[in-house]
Amino acid sequence: MKNRLRVLRAEREWSQADLAQRLEVSRQSVNAIETGKFDPSLPLAFKLARLFETTIEAIFSDESESEVYDQTQRNDKPA
Amino acid sequence: MICLPNNAAQRRYLRRFLVTMLFYVPCIVLAVWVFVHRNPTGILAYALAVLPALPIIGMLAVFGLYLAEEKDDFQRSTFVQAMLWSTGATLAATTTWGFLENFVHVPHLELFLVFPLYCFFWGISVPLVMLRYK
Repeated sequence: MKNRLRVLRAEREWSQADLAQRLEVSRQSVNAIETGKFDPSLPLAFKLARLFETTIEAIFSDESESEVYDQTQRNDKPA
Repeated sequence: MICLPNNAAQRRYLRRFLVTMLFYVPCIVLAVWVFVHRNPTGILAYALAVLPALPIIGMLAVFGLYLAEEKDDFQRSTFVQAMLWSTGATLAATTTWGFLENFVHVPHLELFLVFPLYCFFWGISVPLVMLRYK
């Protein structure tokens, strides 16, 4: 799953370890989520959203869904 | 297996794991010593024969407790993946060896060696599972 964790973290100048400490998870967990290799559980996704004061959708995006959205946008454009 | 504990659940897991291991050593020594020197019979023989298996069963309970107590989804996921890989590898190896024993002449695999084999495969599984997340 695509996400904006790295950007959000960089904006606050937090290291992966800083974020992990705030989330009460391991640094490996943050790295795995950030690189899109592991999808967080719903409670952890909510925790992330609360921490970054935003919504889950603003952090994570379903890759296939965004591809479908991009395709729709392209098709809607006038020729 | 967990080498460097990251959180309270992992610390409890390691402590319990070490306790079961510490129980295992005197249990096996006692069972062997009594069978060699006293030649027990009846219920006592059965009880002594089962004694070294109890810490091993306890170790399985320690795995279950860790899974129940670990709040870090990623850590739990990697633990479960390693557990499944080692379970699969142990079943595959012992089943294959069992058929080899039936049809051709290979050394007999003692059943008490299945758990150490499981731990061996677990030791291989953990770094392999972690490679996925590098």
